[in-house]
Amino acid sequence: MGKFSRQTVLLATAAALSSGMGAASFADDMTLAISMRSLSNPYHATFARGGEEFAKSVNLPFEVLVTEGNSEKGLADIRALISRTNGNVCINVDPNDSPDAATIVDEAKAAGAYVVTQWNKPDDLHPWDNDPNYVAHMSFSGVGTSKEITNALIDAMGGEGGIVAIGGILSNVPAIERKLGMEQAVADTDGKVEILDFQPADWNETKAFEIMQAWLTRYGDDVKGVWAANDSMGIGALEALRQEGKAGSVPVVGIDGTEAALSAVEAGEMAGTVAWDPMWTGGMGLSLCHAAASGAIDITAEPHEHREFYGTGIVVTPENIAEFRERDTSFDYGDYWAKSTGQIQYQQ
Amino acid sequence: MASINLRALAPIGVFFLLCIVIAIFSPNFLSVSNAIRILNASAIPVVLVMGATFVILMGSIDLSIEGIVALCAVVTASLVLNDTTAANLGMWAIPFAVLTGGMVGAINGATHVYLRVPSFMATLGIGFVCLGIATAALGGFPVRIADRGFRALTLGRTLGLPNGIWVATAAVLVALVIQERTRLGRYVFAIGTDEVTARQSGVPVERIRILVFVLAGLFSGMAGVMAAAQLGQGHALIASGRLFTTITAVVVGGTALSGGVGSVLNSVVGVLIVVVLTNGMVLMGVPPFVQQGVQGFLIIVAVSIALDRRQLEFVK
Repeated sequence: MGKFSRQTVLLATAAALSSGMGAASFADDMTLAISMRSLSNPYHATFARGGEEFAKSVNLPFEVLVTEGNSEKGLADIRALISRTNGNVCINVDPNDSPDAATIVDEAKAAGAYVVTQWNKPDDLHPWDNDPNYVAHMSFSGVGTSKEITNALIDAMGGEGGIVAIGGILSNVPAIERKLGMEQAVADTDGKVEILDFQPADWNETKAFEIMQAWLTRYGDDVKGVWAANDSMGIGALEALRQEGKAGSVPVVGIDGTEAALSAVEAGEMAGTVAWDPMWTGGMGLSLCHAAASGAIDITAEPHEHREFYGTGIVVTPENIAEFRERDTSFDYGDYWAKSTGQIQYQQ
Repeated sequence: MASINLRALAPIGVFFLLCIVIAIFSPNFLSVSNAIRILNASAIPVVLVMGATFVILMGSIDLSIEGIVALCAVVTASLVLNDTTAANLGMWAIPFAVLTGGMVGAINGATHVYLRVPSFMATLGIGFVCLGIATAALGGFPVRIADRGFRALTLGRTLGLPNGIWVATAAVLVALVIQERTRLGRYVFAIGTDEVTARQSGVPVERIRILVFVLAGLFSGMAGVMAAAQLGQGHALIASGRLFTTITAVVVGGTALSGGVGSVLNSVVGVLIVVVLTNGMVLMGVPPFVQQGVQGFLIIVAVSIALDRRQLEFVK
């Protein structure tokens, strides 16, 4: 039918995009797949590359599925992949929206496929309740890392003054967690640091640019620091400051560790960013999933902190950026939890 | 020249009303530095609406704006001194990027006219193709600009005003001359008002349609150059949100989506209204949760006041 052929075309396109895939793949080979929002942002592009590297290392066919921000498309593609492989598939998925994770897990259980999820899932959906197909959930601590980066901002401001804060899309889990971490860090200063205003810029650098301009009018020199929930918006704010000759004199922090932000940290224009590790989440997510599916480990016997865990977010500041650039980024696919920083905690 | 009546001045009235209301809540709004910031934030949207106005006056629509801006920003960033390619063309990157925009515009026009695809669908599809090319070419990563001379295009100042404002002013003058002093400008109104009559009077409708899309592409290309200079990089998502602002500004300025009624100057006022609204929301401290609602409401009020509906036989 029409729908089926459309999905086939989409899947073929996704498969063609994943260049590492060998021409010869046997029908009984396990397929490895990555699913995420799009290839047009650095985080997800690197996430996909991490998965591809692992697939190469075990010489298995690899596919990339892209949701384009559309849950329906994401779920349809995963369903098609599971049925095409008769469930002989490992999927490392960053669900488009939290509820999607539950559907994906149900589909995987019904077909005997294995999944690892990233970032988004409902708080009451746990891998250990869905043995053995729901292998693990990986995330980064939004509250904890946001608190750390906010402290870096406060240090750069000399411990006091007013800050303005730019948030992500108000309903996104990372946006909520990062805002909470920032508010906690500010509250810990006992009133020395004040949040002058909070505005969401929907992760968009142009919106952040315009909001920063308006803040310069409203608060002028009272703005002693700028907090942004991601690096794109941080760069947008930085460019608005640059327009007024204030780049470098008002510290800005962001989160994500994009190359633009890291360079700005090196240039002393940003006071810090948090670097995630998408090569690791992409590669290790698939490695763990593959280990569980192939029977190399008995995932059902692992403790909870091995089923829902945080990766390492590194706070990069002008002090440690040289060290960060030199760090050893290699990791051992068999050492599944070496970079885990603890079991995932839920906010009430 | 279109006859001036009171209604035609309505967008300006809306603009001043808005300014007064914001100024009452936030006196800083009227400062010179804020006026410069508003003009600066308006620069890229103004260049975009110049092209979009001609397309809408003709009764068509151009939804490829975000795609062309992103593609041209990537072309610009890749041709000046940058961290990804070996190119270093400096200011010579600008004509290449603008012409890229013009070429995509030509494809828009040709698809629309020769394949008889409605402009809505043709430009939407080609806009996606542009985004796809920008994504595939870069693999999701931005190209960062290292050329400080090039960035002066928006960061530098001339006579106290950021250069972006001067570029936008030049774009308005070019568009105004095209609208008022050329055959192309008159034909656009003729086609938008009544295509059948225009055709019978000998207007080369197909050629004009394609030319107008080329023109829109050139303006979008220039906006792409400015976006790259402003943010110091080019990437596939650099223009996200621009399409909605552009179409809103054209309509708020009083140009009818059905074609034939409006002007590029109206659209400049439309951009100012939209930008002042965003700026004012932050200045007045409107809580983020209600901002979108207030913005939507005010846009409908602005359009209902600004649009001269007596000149429209029907609204669709």
